[in-house]
Amino acid sequence: MTSTALILIITLLTLGSYWVGMQRSIKVAGGVSQIKNMHSLPQQFGLLTAFCCGLPALFLLLLWGIVEPIIIQSLLVDSLDAQVQALSSADLSLYLNDIRIMADSTLSELSNDGVKQQAALYLQVLKDQASILKSGLILITALASVMFIASRFKLSFSARALSESVTKFLFLSCSVVAIFTTLGILMSVLFESLQFFKSVSSLDFLFGTTWSPQIAMRSDQVGSSGAFGAVPLFAGTMLISFIAMTIAAPVGLLTAIYLSQYASPTLRTIAKPMLEILAGIPTVVYGFFAALTVAPFIRDTGEALGLNVASESALAAGIVMGVMIIPFVSSLSDDALNAVPKALKEGSLAMGATESETIKKILLPAALPGIIGAMLLAVSRAIGETMIVVMAAGMAANLTANPLAAVTTVTVQIVTLLTGDQEFDSPKTLAAFALGLMLFVTTLLLNVIALKVVRKYREQYD
Amino acid sequence: MTIKTKSLTDGMEIEHTVGNVFADDPKMSMRNVDVFYNDKQAIKNVSIDLARNQVTALIGPSGCGKSTFLRCLNRMNDTIDICKIKGSLLLDGEDIYHKKMDPVLLRARVGMVFQKPNPFPKSIYDNVAYGPRIHGLAASKDDLDEIVVTSLQKAGLYKEVKDRLSSSGTGLSGGQQQRLCIARTIAVSPEIILMDEPASALDPIATAIIEELIDELKEKYTIAIVTHSMQQAARISQTTAYFHMGSLIEVGSTDHIFTNPSHQLTENYITGRFG
Repeated sequence: MTSTALILIITLLTLGSYWVGMQRSIKVAGGVSQIKNMHSLPQQFGLLTAFCCGLPALFLLLLWGIVEPIIIQSLLVDSLDAQVQALSSADLSLYLNDIRIMADSTLSELSNDGVKQQAALYLQVLKDQASILKSGLILITALASVMFIASRFKLSFSARALSESVTKFLFLSCSVVAIFTTLGILMSVLFESLQFFKSVSSLDFLFGTTWSPQIAMRSDQVGSSGAFGAVPLFAGTMLISFIAMTIAAPVGLLTAIYLSQYASPTLRTIAKPMLEILAGIPTVVYGFFAALTVAPFIRDTGEALGLNVASESALAAGIVMGVMIIPFVSSLSDDALNAVPKALKEGSLAMGATESETIKKILLPAALPGIIGAMLLAVSRAIGETMIVVMAAGMAANLTANPLAAVTTVTVQIVTLLTGDQEFDSPKTLAAFALGLMLFVTTLLLNVIALKVVRKYREQYD
Repeated sequence: MTIKTKSLTDGMEIEHTVGNVFADDPKMSMRNVDVFYNDKQAIKNVSIDLARNQVTALIGPSGCGKSTFLRCLNRMNDTIDICKIKGSLLLDGEDIYHKKMDPVLLRARVGMVFQKPNPFPKSIYDNVAYGPRIHGLAASKDDLDEIVVTSLQKAGLYKEVKDRLSSSGTGLSGGQQQRLCIARTIAVSPEIILMDEPASALDPIATAIIEELIDELKEKYTIAIVTHSMQQAARISQTTAYFHMGSLIEVGSTDHIFTNPSHQLTENYITGRFG
C-alpha cells in the first residue's frame, strides 16, 4: 500500500473514530439522557478518540518513512559480496543506485549483470515486505489506540482537558513550523555566505565599490577576475526604494486620510476595491509598463529638457514601483486611522478644531504606529521587488545617485547570479547568498529602528 | 404597581409640551426642532430655551432623543451624513444653522463634554493647551501656561496634577480624566458647556466632585446636561426637561418637576414606574 493510500485510510479511520468515541461515551453514560452525569461532553470524547486514532498512526508513518530506507539499504549491502562492500562510499552509492533503478523498472534486461539483477530482485522483495509490514503496523496502531482509549472511558474521565491540551499542542506545532522554516532559510543562507566569505574578504564585499561578478571558470579562459563590491547594488536598491517611497508614502497616506475621513460611504465602497486591484496586478505587468511606457516617456521628456537620460533608468523603475506599493500604504494606513476611537475625533471637533487640524494633531499621532508599520511593509516590498527593476532599471551596477542613470539592485543580481547553469563552489554563485544575507540584515535593522521610533513617539490611546 | 410602557404611550400623541419652555433670559432658544436619521424622526417638534448661567437637565428613558438633541446644539451631528435638522436654533439670537455660521467657531463657543472621558493621548498640559493653540488664544508661552493653570484650577484638577503636567492624560483615573476634559473645554472660554452624561462612567465619589464642579461652573457658563440619574438632575439643575420618544413632554423648574409633575408620563418616569 502506498503512503498516500495509507494517509487516506488513516483520515477515514480518524473520522470514524470520532463517531465511535461519541457513541462509546454515550453508552458509558447510560444513554443520551444521562450525558449530564459525565465529566465531559460526547463531542469531547469523540475528539479525543479521533486524536488517539490519527496522531500516533501519522507519527509512525513519518518515522517509518525516515527509518525504512536506512534499514533496507543496510540489509541490501549485507547481502552483497564482500568485494562490493569494500567499494568506496561514492562508488557504492552508484552501484546501489543501479540496483534501485533495475528494481523499479519493468525492463528486466536493463543490464545483464546477473549479480545486480539478483540484488534488484532481493530489493524488490524487501520493499514489498516493508510495505506490508508498514501498512499492517500502522493500521493496528490506529485501531489499538482507539480501543485502548475507548476502554478507559468512564463517568469521571476528563476528555475535555485532554482533548484541549492535544489541540493546544497541535496549534503550537503549527507555529513552530513557521519559526523553524524561517530559521532554516536563515541557516542555509548563512552557511553558503560563510563559504563565500572564505574566498572573498568581507571588507571587499561590504565596502567595495565595483560589482562585476564574472569569474574565469577555467584557467585558460579569458575573463575578469571578479569584483564583489556590494556597495553599488545597495546604493541602487536604496535609490530605487527611495524614489518609490517618495511617491507611495505621500500619495498612499493622503489617500488613506481622504478615504477614512472625507470620502462619502459610496465613494469609499468604490474607491477602496479599485485601489486594492492595483495591489493585485502581477509585478511583471508593472515591469513592462515601466519598460515600455514610463521609461521612454522619461527619456523623451529628459531629452526635450536637454538632459542625458538612459533608456533604462532608476527613475522609471522607482516611479512604477511607487505606484505599485500605494495600495499597501493606503490600505494599512486607512485601517490604522479607522482604529482610532471616534471619541477622540469628536472630542477634538467639539473643541472647535477643524477637520484637518483634528487629523493632523489627533488622528495621525494616534495612528502613527500603524502608519509606520504600513510604510515599513511598503519599504520591504520596494527592497524585495525584482521584476520591475529587471525590466526597467537595467543590470548595470553603476554607483550613482543620479535617478536618470541605469542602476541595478540586490535582488536583480541575486536572480542573475542564480539563473542558468551554476557551480556551487564558485564565488560567483555563492555571492547570491551573501547578498541575500545582507538584504535580510538590512530589512531587520530597518524594522528594529522603526520599532524604536514608534515606541518613542507613539501617543497611546486605550 | 407596575405599568407596561406600551399602554402608557399607545395612542398618546404628544402635541404640546407641558410647562413653560420660555426662559426670561435665554442664552439659546430652540423652536420647532425636528431631527431625522434618514426617514426616521428622532426629535419631534421640540421647543426649549436654555437660561443664561443656569443648568438645564435633559432627562428621559434611553433612546428618547436627549443626546441627539444635545448634539444639535453645537452641530456635532454635522459629522453624521444621514442626519437632517429642521427648525430654528438660536444662540444669542443668531441662527446656528445659518449658512454663514461657521461650525468650527460655533463649537468654540459651545463646548461639549462626552459620556466616556476622552482625553487626547497627549500630556495633561497639551490636552488643555490643545484648544487655545488651535484658536490662537495665547500670545506667548506664559499666556498659555496661565490659561492651562486657570482652566485646570476651575476644573478642580490642578492640585492633583500640578507636579505631573507633562505626563499622559490617559494615565489619570476616570474621574480625573473627565475633569481634564472639562478643563480642556473651559480652556477655549466657551459660553455654553454641553454635557452628555458626564458622570455615568464614574464612581460615586468622582461623580460628587463633578457635580460640585458643575454647580460652580454655572456662575460663568450656561450648561445643558443629559443625565440618566434623576437624583443628579434634581441636585444640580435649575430647569429640567423631560424627553419621551423624541418629544419634549414637560419643561419646568427642577423643584416643580420633581415634586409636582404636570404630565402623567413625567410622573411615571420620575417616580420610577418605567424608563
